[in-house]
Amino acid sequence: MSERIGVYICHCGTNISQTVDIPATVEFAKTLPDVVVAREYKYMCSDPGQDMIQKDIGEHKLTRIVVSSCSPLMHEETFRGTVEDAGLNRFLFQMANIREQCSWVHSDRSRATEKAKRLISGAVNRVRYHKELEGRRVPVQPSAMIVGAGIAGIEAALKIADAGRKVYLVEKEPSIGGHMAMFDKTFPTLDCAACILTPKMVTVGKHPNIELMTYTEVEEVSGFVGNFEVKLRRKARYIDEDKCTGCGSCLERCPVQYQPREDGHPAPVIEMTPAMKSRLDSIIEQHKHEKVPLPAMLNEINTQLGFLPKPALKYLSQHLNVPLSRIYHVATFYTAFSLEPQGEHVIKVCMGTACYVRGSEDVLKALEQRLEIEAGQTTADMNFTLETVNCPGSCTMGPVVQLDNCSIRVEPEKVEEFVKSSIEPFISSLKQQAVSV
Amino acid sequence: MKPIKNVEQFNVYRDSLQGSVPERVLIVSHGTCGRAQGSAELVDAFKEALDKSGIDGGASLRVTGCLGYCDCEPIVIVRPEGFFYSRPAPEQAGKIVQESLIKGKPIERLFIKDSSTGEIIRHENEVHFYKKQMRLVFGDNFELDPTSLEDYIRSGGYQSMIKAITTMEPEQVIAQITASGLRGRGGAGFPTGTKWASCRKAEGEHKYVICNADEGDPGAYANRGLLEGNPHSVIEGMIIGAYAIGADEGHVYVRMEYPLAIELIEKAINDCRSAGILGRNILDTGFDFDIDITRGGGAYVCGESTALMASIEGRPGEPRAKHIHTVERGLWDRPTTLNNVETWSTVPKIIERGAEWFAGIGTGDVSKSAWGGSKGTKIFSLVGKINRSGLAEVPMGMTLREVIYDIGGGIRGGRRFKAVQTGGPSGGVLDEKRLDLPIDYEMLAEAGSIMGSGGMIVMDESNCMVDLARYFMGFLMDESCGKCIPCREGIIQMYQILDNICNGLAKPEDLSLLQELAEVVQEASLCQLGQTAPNPVLSTLKYFPDEYHAHIYEKRCPAGKCKTLAAGELAAAKV
Repeated sequence: MSERIGVYICHCGTNISQTVDIPATVEFAKTLPDVVVAREYKYMCSDPGQDMIQKDIGEHKLTRIVVSSCSPLMHEETFRGTVEDAGLNRFLFQMANIREQCSWVHSDRSRATEKAKRLISGAVNRVRYHKELEGRRVPVQPSAMIVGAGIAGIEAALKIADAGRKVYLVEKEPSIGGHMAMFDKTFPTLDCAACILTPKMVTVGKHPNIELMTYTEVEEVSGFVGNFEVKLRRKARYIDEDKCTGCGSCLERCPVQYQPREDGHPAPVIEMTPAMKSRLDSIIEQHKHEKVPLPAMLNEINTQLGFLPKPALKYLSQHLNVPLSRIYHVATFYTAFSLEPQGEHVIKVCMGTACYVRGSEDVLKALEQRLEIEAGQTTADMNFTLETVNCPGSCTMGPVVQLDNCSIRVEPEKVEEFVKSSIEPFISSLKQQAVSV
Repeated sequence: MKPIKNVEQFNVYRDSLQGSVPERVLIVSHGTCGRAQGSAELVDAFKEALDKSGIDGGASLRVTGCLGYCDCEPIVIVRPEGFFYSRPAPEQAGKIVQESLIKGKPIERLFIKDSSTGEIIRHENEVHFYKKQMRLVFGDNFELDPTSLEDYIRSGGYQSMIKAITTMEPEQVIAQITASGLRGRGGAGFPTGTKWASCRKAEGEHKYVICNADEGDPGAYANRGLLEGNPHSVIEGMIIGAYAIGADEGHVYVRMEYPLAIELIEKAINDCRSAGILGRNILDTGFDFDIDITRGGGAYVCGESTALMASIEGRPGEPRAKHIHTVERGLWDRPTTLNNVETWSTVPKIIERGAEWFAGIGTGDVSKSAWGGSKGTKIFSLVGKINRSGLAEVPMGMTLREVIYDIGGGIRGGRRFKAVQTGGPSGGVLDEKRLDLPIDYEMLAEAGSIMGSGGMIVMDESNCMVDLARYFMGFLMDESCGKCIPCREGIIQMYQILDNICNGLAKPEDLSLLQELAEVVQEASLCQLGQTAPNPVLSTLKYFPDEYHAHIYEKRCPAGKCKTLAAGELAAAKV
């Protein structure tokens, strides 16, 4: 049996009508199959608008209603009520959103009108398949689970728990706090991140309505709104949770010392030697009365040892009573410092603009190929470190290559020749020297 | 040397120096560019030749810093005739001394041809590169040995300092600088007098002056040229500034990539200390002032004033928000005036010759507002695909065309001009249509670039503008300190989009996304690094949209630079 569908298109004042050509959409709606009535009105949600729909249901024996106006969130309930009061089942109604999804987000009138027509056409086609439904009440599980205990999860958990509901707060990491715990200041007001976060972390831990489940991951979610079932994996602890105080001493006792490197080879472990220790002592003694001792000391260590070994930084931290993190902050911020041992010779390719436009990228690639390393790396025999430098200011000579801080001019057209005639003999002569030493 | 006790003794000393110079001088440039091209051997050869010649006192050798025309370094000039030799072999030293220096005769076969016109250049005043320049600040590099305090004093050095301290009130000094219309040469162009006046007014027992020599913009090296060629002018400017604002301590922050500049400014400061020009009670005037040097750590962001101050304090060089200005709370939370090397170096000239003289050069009118014009000269480092490259000092208001064609001699190898990039990574790229605009702070800003520290990189048709924008994002991605999110994350995203465009993987809608992202980074970043980071992207999008379109729609790089794409002329593909 064919349906008798009524289509009602709303102007929403000028909200819709200024972007969508309403009369054109009404004419279009009339041409759709099974549409018996199509009308427009200034505010369809107003009493006269609703009366118009109810009157039409009676007069034209309409079996389905489409209202083309705003979002269902705004007025779906209104119109379902309208339809129900006129004797139709409240679910034989469909809304087409031509405001939020059309007029508000477009400026081209003709294309917006075209889109509105398609939305209406879709709604008309859909409403034909609606069935009469009945409402039913079922009990729901009143507790909530929040997955992820970053600042958003924590805040949500506290709000729900304060409202008197049970909350399960699940976090895959050993500690809650997420990214915010890693920040010093928060954008854009530069408020102290820890000052905002830590009180909330403590409250979460103590709240009687919150069950905290750290180091736990969600494996499976089933069920439906109000009656979810969740399967969790509580990860292995390796420690006795009742006895552990989080002191961290076990890390020091850990027999695994090697840090995996990206290329799969273990990084060499550098141990503190008595020689290094006495050097550090004299460097500390030399600079400790300066106004800003830390950079001066780091610079001295970097110059004397060629890089900043980790044990040296630890030693510095203990003797200056400065947190290791602060020393790392300085040591990793400036390119002058290196945390890895450097090669005997340092080759730097200038990546300044003047050199770049004259082809320094090609020079770098040729050198990378020749040395079989990438910029920033050191050859396995520890002879060469290849680096880029952002402009030593020898711009007229570009592209410039610095060999152990001595600048060399490279004619842009002769990159390949340069590698063969200048770098290769240089490298082989250095290699010979290295061997003879 | 022995300390000079007071101003009177200083004057006697200066007069005694002025009688001591022989007329015949052999000038050899020995800055970083010169050294990279063998000036050390040349200087040794000349010293030996002079010793052998037996002329003894009748002529002198002057080893100077950078002379600006870096393409030709090391440069040898014989005065008073003005013979100009470029990069002679050390073996020629004896002949140059015998023929040119002693007998005053030219050596024809050693003269060079101009790289653009092919004319033979014999005299220093025939050098096209210098002809149109106005070398108020940089010209002194020819007159002195940067390691010699005597040379500086002989050529009138530290006179402005004495004039300011002994005959002017600090307010008068500030008034002169304000009236001159001098604006910061480091990039933003803030009026120097206004800055000094606020710092003078700020409350605080100790105040500081800082010389920013962290010239990080790739392609700019004017500050290096000044520090290596005339370090005392920077020191003199700082002393005058310190007197004007009431500071007792100065800092020079030099980037570590300039080892020679560090060595020379260090020597100059030590010489001044032993001569009594720095330290307690300078020349018995009752004014105390001393200068410390801090070596940079290779971080671009440290050119930003608050980051630079953090770095001097021994912290990582991360900028802070500037609701409180550094003139009120800067280094160690005390009032601080920070100026660029070139700004400091200009100050003694203004005190010497007067504000009116300085305000007579350049564009606009600064009598009503300090922002009303661009005055004096600016040193540009003219580099890239250009015939004559080096440091060119020109009056504000000269057109880009004059600088690039008259001074720079046009594009190398007969290729076509495509674009000029000014202001480093914070600046923009200008196309051919903008060549006739006069160079001043406002014009460059209006055209989407900035004056910056004076880098001027000229590009020809083989340079791809999308690739250039990607290059700058890559540079800034490395150099962003990571403190604020728009800069740290936004630049990475812009880089990704540009990389996709260069590799032919971009979608048409990426262009509007790129534009939007650029605007967000510009508005939301904490410091100037982030706020100006999108300039290269926005200016290339504005002036070279066709190149972006060719990459995206036709998967083609018109300049032939992006290797994964097909090369070819734009016009050819449109047919």
